[in-house]
Amino acid sequence: MKRHLLLPLALVAAALPAFAQQIPVVEKMLPNGFKLLLVERHEEPRIAGGWVAHVGSANERPGITGIAHLFEHMMFKGTPTLGTKDAKRDLEIIAEQEHIRDGMRAEEARMRDAWRRGELEDVSRPESKTERWKELEADFKKLIDEQRGLLVKNEFDRIYTTAGASGMNAFTTEDMTGYFINVPANKLELWAWMESERLLRPVFREFYAERDVVFEERRMRTESTPLGKFAEQFNSMFWQAHPYHWPVIGWPSDIPAISKKQADEFYALYYQPQNITIILVGDFKADEAEAMVRRYFGRIPKGTQPAPDVGTLEPPQLAEKRMDAEAETNPQVDVLWHTVGFGHKDSYPLDVLQQLLSTRTGRLYKGLVLGREVATDTSAQQNSQKWGGAFDISGEAKDGKTPADVEAAIYEELEKLKAEPVPAEELQKVKNQFAAAEYRKLSANMPIFQQVLFNEGLGGWREVNEGGPKIQAVTAEDVQRVVKKYFTKENRAVATYNRKAGTGAKDEDPDLVGLSAEQKPVVRRIAESLKGETDAAKLKEAAGKMEAQAATGDPKKQQLQKLILKKVRQRIAELEKK
Amino acid sequence: MNMNPRILSLAAALVALLPVFAADIPDRPEKLSFPPLTFEPPSAAQHRVPLKAGPVAYVVPDRTLPLVNLSILVRTGNYLDPQGREGVAEFTGYLLTRGGTKSKTAEELEERLAFLAAGLGSGVGDDQGSVNLNLLSKDLPEGLAILREVLTAPRFQQDKLELYRQQSLQGMKQRNDDSTAIEGREKEMLAYGTNFWACRYTTQKSVASITADDLRAFHQRWFHPANFVVAVSGDFDRADMVAKLEALFADWPSKGEVPPPVPTDIAMAEPGVYMVDKDVNQGRVSVLLPGVHRDDPDMPAVMVMNDILGGGGFTSRIMNRVRSDEGLAYGAGSAFPAGVHYPLAFQAGFASKSGTVAYATSIVLEEMNRISSAPVSDQELDTAKRSFIDTFPENFNTKGKVAGLFAREEFTGRYAKKPDHFATWRGRIEAVTKEDVQRVARKHLHPEKAVILIVGQKEEILKGNTSHPVELKQLASGRLTELPLRDPLTMEPMPKEKAEK
Repeated sequence: MKRHLLLPLALVAAALPAFAQQIPVVEKMLPNGFKLLLVERHEEPRIAGGWVAHVGSANERPGITGIAHLFEHMMFKGTPTLGTKDAKRDLEIIAEQEHIRDGMRAEEARMRDAWRRGELEDVSRPESKTERWKELEADFKKLIDEQRGLLVKNEFDRIYTTAGASGMNAFTTEDMTGYFINVPANKLELWAWMESERLLRPVFREFYAERDVVFEERRMRTESTPLGKFAEQFNSMFWQAHPYHWPVIGWPSDIPAISKKQADEFYALYYQPQNITIILVGDFKADEAEAMVRRYFGRIPKGTQPAPDVGTLEPPQLAEKRMDAEAETNPQVDVLWHTVGFGHKDSYPLDVLQQLLSTRTGRLYKGLVLGREVATDTSAQQNSQKWGGAFDISGEAKDGKTPADVEAAIYEELEKLKAEPVPAEELQKVKNQFAAAEYRKLSANMPIFQQVLFNEGLGGWREVNEGGPKIQAVTAEDVQRVVKKYFTKENRAVATYNRKAGTGAKDEDPDLVGLSAEQKPVVRRIAESLKGETDAAKLKEAAGKMEAQAATGDPKKQQLQKLILKKVRQRIAELEKK
Repeated sequence: MNMNPRILSLAAALVALLPVFAADIPDRPEKLSFPPLTFEPPSAAQHRVPLKAGPVAYVVPDRTLPLVNLSILVRTGNYLDPQGREGVAEFTGYLLTRGGTKSKTAEELEERLAFLAAGLGSGVGDDQGSVNLNLLSKDLPEGLAILREVLTAPRFQQDKLELYRQQSLQGMKQRNDDSTAIEGREKEMLAYGTNFWACRYTTQKSVASITADDLRAFHQRWFHPANFVVAVSGDFDRADMVAKLEALFADWPSKGEVPPPVPTDIAMAEPGVYMVDKDVNQGRVSVLLPGVHRDDPDMPAVMVMNDILGGGGFTSRIMNRVRSDEGLAYGAGSAFPAGVHYPLAFQAGFASKSGTVAYATSIVLEEMNRISSAPVSDQELDTAKRSFIDTFPENFNTKGKVAGLFAREEFTGRYAKKPDHFATWRGRIEAVTKEDVQRVARKHLHPEKAVILIVGQKEEILKGNTSHPVELKQLASGRLTELPLRDPLTMEPMPKEKAEK
């Protein structure tokens, strides 16, 4: 998250128009605990509306990882009056389904037992299921068929769409769950009805089909992308104790095991009014909108106990962590350092550092892509989350260079920042960029809504107006101090990626990485001629000579010689196998 | 989650009490009534300024923020690259604003723009080029001076060309890494033919041949005011901006050419199932059929029909069945994109685990049949129409969008042919009937003629799923063809052994 909005300080006052704006947020509290944030804006006849629940995957525990996100999906399934033709029978069916699912869960526990004993390879495969489980599944499907006859499919969505609403969506992060939509300005009451109804009395129908949808989402985002599963492992390695350790989408074992009962409990604990902030941005009068929200959301009973904080603190990391992956990707490196979370005083110099390192005139591009020519692309990001933060630097190696070359160059750039304060002109450049970005984010209702929502979800909406001045107040010494403090070897985790053999272009033998343009064809020619050589004894003799030469040879040629030797030995091994 | 069961029961008790204090809130949203809302779209003529210097400009002042956004659309495109020289258009577009100017090196130019927090970018795509400048209004004079020099005297610095060549080459090497990228590419080739200009890709060889002189020649030939359409919005006075634009485009140092029309010789592959074997645990599926031209009088009916079939997200049939009912995919839907130069292909698609690819595909084809064989419901028709008509104001919700939308209308020639397009658009959607929907479905949706592309684990996908026995081969015309992966550097099909190494 970047910080928002600017109060021009003396430093930039000359560079910027005098009317730099704040987002005029009106904050109200409802008696039952909801917080309400209103931003009047009359540039378009529409309203961006929604709410953020202060719950995310960090509030989960092992065994039910992914529930916060699965729950987000369930909030679109309707209410007793939306989504079914027969509310009474619908609820009965759901109860009967749960009864059958209890039986299936007992069978699933047995299958996991068998897996622990090594009798099953994968409990998720159809052939692993017990006979009893299959019988129960058939019973379950009968109930699904009956329920389908009563369902009014996706009615929640249809009512909004028919009313001219658009962009209905939701998202889940480690820290928050946000729900939002754009409605015509005359449909504010419809929005209040729909949102308060689903908070007041949601019905989690089609729970088990939706669990499958979420697993497909996991396959799509994590499992079938070149780097998704590696990024998941890297993140998990980086966060040792804190719940940021597990993925928001959930572990593959957990998604298919979450029960509707657990979702019900989750709702009761985390979707109480005290844990939710409602946000409206757009074409309305604040007092009228407030009255509307009070009338509709006031119906929802206050919770009896506050949702618990995430208590676990990440312990200081004691030693560098490393992960070396082979993946379907160009060689690259990704480095994470533990830093600080949202609103921490050091987060502002870290944001400035991010900008100093980023863009085509930033230090990484100049230092790694243009200067040393070790990388083709770089990126840097301070990620300030609610309970902690990380700084991420990554770079793709230029052909002929290695992830290690890129990694070394990243550290050199950081050492320069530790040794010398950033020159005034360079610091001013990035502050100007922050200042201008504050305006660019104010273009329409939805981006303003999103900023208020994200900041509120991370710790407090006021940051949208207070963060900008804090960025402008950062000094070169502040930047130098945070680089020295956080960018140490023991505080970092490093992922290096090399191309998995056989996944590249034809000439992309991974052994050739690091060789010069002149050396590559030499190795290719030798490898090709070795294929025609069938005399193992002759090759062994040659290998012996080469070893002797390599010991005394020019160090610049050693990599080449070693590689040729390797190819010769590979051919000997092939011949001996035959 | 140490849930206290008392909380649940207490909440339940309170819910039971609710009707007592919320009696005046209806139980169904249809019982609510709303004040009327009228919206008239802005008129293009009001913002249109034919500049004496050549281009037509859309000038839309907006004093709410101290920013100016200026976009130039350019009549050029990748289609102008001769065979074997793929990349010249793209490289020219990218390096125009990033390769320095007559008086400034690329480094000086970028450093100055960065200090001003100004964004200056450019690119050439399939059938248009664009140059964009976004900056604080206080810096407008300096920004326009820079823009003039970039447009008339770009340097195309040699080291920036070499860097982009290297980046481009490394980008190529990732062409087979992501199943989404493979799907996107093969889909185009099946839909329009491997010889169609839009299906030609840069190769190691074509990119190696590009010289700075190629870029200069391409720039001189096409980047000329007669080929520009301009959109500008933000913090300025209209008359003042028009004067500035006249100066920006006056006395152009080169005489350009008007580009030839975009070729339209598309040819869809034979019906059948086409598979690319890729080791990922989710198969990606695209169902393709010939599509429609933007100016087709049936376009409104096609849009409404597609919205009901698979374009409308959660209110559409494909989404309801593939995702909500069966849990077979995260996203599932269909599209009838409106082609400006030639009919763009219809496509329906989703991604599902290998075992359920065939079953989910059969559902999509079933829905294509159903919408042709029976009328849609009144409610479906109403939902689809309202979703277009009542979200219409969003097209105009920022001044930047207004200027951009009108400029695009001008650029693609529709403004000249149909200046009342936006004024009459809602009425044309409103006029679509159930009969129209079924008629256009019958006209365009022929599942038996579908070209079906599947990217995923071939063997697993062909095994299918025991509880839903569907044979992939029988889904389309009974033909199943395996498409080899392409060598990422030459785009030639790779024999399978080599691909697997």
